Amino acid sequence: MVALIPSLPEWVEPVARYMFEVGLPGTLRIAGLALVGSAVIGVVLGTLLTVDSRPLRAAIRLYVEVWRGLPILVTIFVVFFALPSASDALRFDAFTAAAIGLTLWGSAQVAEATRGAVGSIPREQHEASAALGFGWLGRHRYVILPQALRRLLPPFVSLLVNIIQNTTIAQVIGAAELLETGERSAERLTFTTLDTHALEIYGAVAVVFFLISFPLTRLAAYLEKRLI
Amino acid sequence: MLAVTVDWSYFSTYGGELIAAIGRTLLVSVIAVVGAALVGLVLGAARAHRIPVVSQLAAIYVEVIRNTPILVQIFFVFFGLPSVGITLDAFTVACLTITVWGGAFNTENFRAGFEAVPNRYREAGAALGFGRMRTFLDVTLPIGGRIALPPSINTFISVVKNTSLLYVIGYQELTYTAYNINALSPRTLESFGTLAVAYLVIVWTMSGLIRLLESRLALPTEAR
Repeated sequence: MVALIPSLPEWVEPVARYMFEVGLPGTLRIAGLALVGSAVIGVVLGTLLTVDSRPLRAAIRLYVEVWRGLPILVTIFVVFFALPSASDALRFDAFTAAAIGLTLWGSAQVAEATRGAVGSIPREQHEASAALGFGWLGRHRYVILPQALRRLLPPFVSLLVNIIQNTTIAQVIGAAELLETGERSAERLTFTTLDTHALEIYGAVAVVFFLISFPLTRLAAYLEKRLI
Repeated sequence: MLAVTVDWSYFSTYGGELIAAIGRTLLVSVIAVVGAALVGLVLGAARAHRIPVVSQLAAIYVEVIRNTPILVQIFFVFFGLPSVGITLDAFTVACLTITVWGGAFNTENFRAGFEAVPNRYREAGAALGFGRMRTFLDVTLPIGGRIALPPSINTFISVVKNTSLLYVIGYQELTYTAYNINALSPRTLESFGTLAVAYLVIVWTMSGLIRLLESRLALPTEAR
């Protein structure tokens, strides 16, 4: 048989297999954990940012400004290297530490967006639901948040894109996500083929991220037009 | 129990090294902020005015940069390009990658800003006998530039935070230096505490300045 498609070099298959079977699931695992964590903590904190308690608001504001202000790499370093020296109970593996770091950052973003979305729900909605006998919790649970969440959809999709891209920072502490598996492959190839093939490998990593991110950024732009 | 005791001798030993590292963080930040502003201004204008070829190439540039992680971009340039004979030193890669990233986001910021300028303003410019360039410089830029200011300053803050990723190419900025000091003589609280506080001071100072600048440069309501 004459191959119509030029066959790939021999080193490609095992590398691709490793990156897709170990790296990509690792990336998605960190991203999934961080997305859920950011959404839950962020919506709660953002809603609490609209209540009438100065000390509570100040505390949440501090949380938001600190985790938004720090580079994510620094947050992950603090979680991974500094927390264990404070207490042994705070020792996390690289995956968990990366997910925690991304969650701290992501929840701060979501809190800020939620505050805006909850604040944009007309005052009458609060008053009407209070008149129906709902308490603060019921008012937010059944009336305010369902409407606010709709407005939060576009920023959530943008957050997802950012979280997926930022999972690569977990490479620095050695979590086996896509970039890390690519880096390990390049290192191993140096010994077997005397060439790192780094250009092809990092190029491929970029392509995979592009294929995931591009449709999502389009979706975010579309939702922004549709929902607002 | 959390044991929190600060060893102050840490700062007399490593203070100088850390300050030099903050200097390098700020140096790359300033170069990248200026570079990204220029790239964003030129390409944003090309996008908004739909200048053929340049506009399409700028759109591709923006999508590629925005949809790939900056850390992968840094790896590609620093570790990937040498296999095709392009070897750049850490400082060059630092300035280049951070500028290219910020430039893509600023292109979008400025494009949106320029497109938000009502067309009748440009027509007014034409009616006054202004050429295309003069209309841009005297009408579109002052108004659209101010609309683009808040998002582009957010991009600048991200640019500064992204310099921490230069850790991976061994450029001795703040994150790399604090990490290495801790690796040599583990005083975790002091190293990572200093690291975090230094970034917060830089970022919070920037966002404070923004609010000042925003209120000074805000468009008079007349113009809207």
